[in-house]
Amino acid sequence: MFKRLTRLNIAMLLRVIGWLLMIESAFLVVPLLTCLYYGESDWEAFAIALCITATVGVLMTFCIRPGRSDMGKREGFLLTASVWVFFSLCGMIPFMLGVSPIGFTDAFFEAISAFTTTGASTYVSVDNLSHGLKLWRCLMEWLGGMGIILFTLAVIPMLNYSGGMQMFNAEVTGITHEKLRPRVSQTAKGLWFVYFILTGILIVLLYMGPMSLFDSVCYAFSVMSTGGVSTSDAGIGAWDSLYIKIVFIVFMVLGGVNFGLIFKVGTGQFKAVRENQVFRIFMGTIIVLVFMTSIAAYIGNPVHSIETSVVDPLFQVVSMMTSTGFSVPEVNMWGDFVLLLVFLMMFMGGCAGSTSGGAKIDRIIVLIKHSRNEIYRCLHPNSILNVRVNNKVASPDTVSKVIAFLCLYVMIVLVASGLLTILGMPLGHSFFTSLSCISNAGLGINIMGVDATFIGIPDVGKWILSLVMLIGRLELFTVLLLFTTDFWRK
Amino acid sequence: MKIVIAGAGEVGSHLAKLLSREEQDIVLVDDDSSKLDAISSNYNLMTFRGSPTSFDALRNAGVENCDLFIAVTPFETRNVTSCAIAKSLGAKRTVARIDNYEYMTNDNRDFFTRLGVNSLIYPEYLAASEIVTALERNWVRHWFEIHDGEIILVGVKLRDNARLIGMQLKELAAMQHNFHVSAIKRNHETIIPRGDDYIKSNDILYFTTRRDDVNELLELCGKRHRPIKKVMIMGGSRIAVRLVKMAGERYRFKIIEISRERCLKLSEKVPDADIVCGDARDIDTLKEERISDMDAFIALTDSSETNILSCLSAKEFGVPKTIAEVENIQFISEAEGLNIGTIVNKKLLASSKIFQMLLDADSSSSKCLALADAEVAEIEVKPKSKITKAPVKDLNLSRSMTIAGLIRDGHGQLVTGNTTIQAGDHVLVFCLAGSIHKIERLFN
Repeated sequence: MFKRLTRLNIAMLLRVIGWLLMIESAFLVVPLLTCLYYGESDWEAFAIALCITATVGVLMTFCIRPGRSDMGKREGFLLTASVWVFFSLCGMIPFMLGVSPIGFTDAFFEAISAFTTTGASTYVSVDNLSHGLKLWRCLMEWLGGMGIILFTLAVIPMLNYSGGMQMFNAEVTGITHEKLRPRVSQTAKGLWFVYFILTGILIVLLYMGPMSLFDSVCYAFSVMSTGGVSTSDAGIGAWDSLYIKIVFIVFMVLGGVNFGLIFKVGTGQFKAVRENQVFRIFMGTIIVLVFMTSIAAYIGNPVHSIETSVVDPLFQVVSMMTSTGFSVPEVNMWGDFVLLLVFLMMFMGGCAGSTSGGAKIDRIIVLIKHSRNEIYRCLHPNSILNVRVNNKVASPDTVSKVIAFLCLYVMIVLVASGLLTILGMPLGHSFFTSLSCISNAGLGINIMGVDATFIGIPDVGKWILSLVMLIGRLELFTVLLLFTTDFWRK
Repeated sequence: MKIVIAGAGEVGSHLAKLLSREEQDIVLVDDDSSKLDAISSNYNLMTFRGSPTSFDALRNAGVENCDLFIAVTPFETRNVTSCAIAKSLGAKRTVARIDNYEYMTNDNRDFFTRLGVNSLIYPEYLAASEIVTALERNWVRHWFEIHDGEIILVGVKLRDNARLIGMQLKELAAMQHNFHVSAIKRNHETIIPRGDDYIKSNDILYFTTRRDDVNELLELCGKRHRPIKKVMIMGGSRIAVRLVKMAGERYRFKIIEISRERCLKLSEKVPDADIVCGDARDIDTLKEERISDMDAFIALTDSSETNILSCLSAKEFGVPKTIAEVENIQFISEAEGLNIGTIVNKKLLASSKIFQMLLDADSSSSKCLALADAEVAEIEVKPKSKITKAPVKDLNLSRSMTIAGLIRDGHGQLVTGNTTIQAGDHVLVFCLAGSIHKIERLFN
């Protein structure tokens, strides 16, 4: 049977994963030190996780001697997808060995949800978690937000060949992958630099407010990656501070903007903002949605103030659009229409090339413009029409890829929610959860007025959702490709 | 080094891929996005859609701070214009591909310098000179000389009659020969040999030697020199025209061209050659033109496959020397395996020209030869460079390169493990593809 499989360069693949795991083990030092600083006994869990990850990494790197070092397209896709799984497998160890251990399924769900910046959690309460564990969840989101591969491309020159290009393409979100600089490592460095600086500024701004340093760091990681993990059950409500809300709003928006654009602005090319149509539409959509939500909030909430009628809706809209997944407690009062908007916003997501999830505004623009063209063509069958995004004409190939993407997106949501209903979940809930996972928003069904987190989902359901989150983060094709026979067969 | 390449045609995209593998920062500009997409997603470089003659486009592509600007669109006027624009925007050095011999002459150099074009590449001219060398030294595959032949690199294919076959390189060294085996090409792969490697039949060996000692090789490899007089050319391409103009007095050329119109033009352009209108793929035509009397057969049509196959049939007719233009890089090693005497590739010739500029930005004295998967370069050693610090054997040189010979005070000498290289020497380096940037580090 194995003779019919293509010859993938598995040895080289494992070796690269080994390298990457060593990097992950370096990141595990951070929560380990945090635990030691706060004198928490979870440090043992992190120490074990660190040892396991580092050992596996070292063994894979130094004991596997690949016969050839070339990696083609197939290896690139497989590597990108499997790196995320390997990272989650190692990242879940502290959850299983901590003071309040959770099971294998829950731990994996927790880890992959963090890496994919979904932020869905199976913890009923996070208040009792150790500082190390809280920080680790945020750190995983931060790392996954910009991308594990992208991080590696920036720091290790090893991947800087054409195989690295495949991985770059497989991981970075968006229709086309704009490069900032000639070499992929420079592009990766540029993007990570922007990410790093923004995170730094956010930490300072939060610390200037009512937050402690620990919370500032955690929330900065969580907001910048548009992940949406909280350090307490009360979440954003714990501070009840307008300042914090506004800082969050600004940085969530930044997290939903193309980082290439931010890089350009950072290097003084302000013209780029004016020319970037996607950015304008992103901001425009936010304004329109906030307006609608504000009205709903004004009607739904008996308390009328600037904060409840403008800031809260703005916070909620931005959090949904950028797939962060924070929510203000008042959402339940705003009525079913807002809930519908929430569906829509999760589906739409932020700009391509950002840390946000969803199907991305760029694709929605292509879809709408293409549909408009098709309608126009009914009366003028011979007219030549094209789809322009950012003043560049999208080729018919691109348009059809976008449409296939959106169809697949919806189909995956339907299939996943169908499977969840088989497992006994109510239809509405399973649909909401699936969409929330594929969009990496991580909003629980409690927003629908039901008091339940992801803990209530059966184990099989959690595995399905884990897969859905990975599919959503790597933008469908990278993962779905692995399920085709053509990928494996000669 | 930041390099902007305008024109994603065959030469342009080949250069871009090659240079990106050499860890240079490459931006490729073309106005056809379909040409760029495939390169952009598979290679480590940046592409930019825009006209190579537009100020805006070039500025956006980052010409302002680039070290080298290469214009290789199919049109020479466009290339010259685009170089002039790039230079005015701030490109440090510009190169244009041209298609006119007049431009190469020294009298007109000044004009181009004033326009802002620093160097010109004329691939057809390079190819024609390559063919002339191959006709003169018809027992070798490659002939590369530096400093008026003080050091010569020859590539020879070994047949069963060569005395070297079966020998170990260690034994050879012990026999005190005046040559250095720099590389061996075996089964599509070039290797830098070590002392314990054996020489096998059908290897192509690259020897470095001095001019006076070349004849020793002739005998060791079981070759002999045949004088060439009558040459048949298939396809009246631009290379053919250049070739006849260059060597029309020394050889009797007969060009077979399929298109009548082209034939009429050729007869006007190159009075030195006999022009025959016919299909050289047709055996009767070849017989009619007495192919068996020919000393050499050169296939220069647009199709690499036709060139390779026609050379093979010429071989069957008993033509001793065949030369084929092969533009598909992956066919080159196949063609070499099929016993075609010399292979000419415009892309490789153009890229070797560019490599030379990369290695030595200010001097035109250095030379570079690009093979399918290796490079040979002449480099001047700068004072205090890493390479002068110790004898060659103690330098821990990478296995992908070897130092073959050097020229000190105008005299060539071979390099052994005990040689210490001095500043001011000209060194002949043989390196496998993708490692030329390592050399740069050693010598600067």
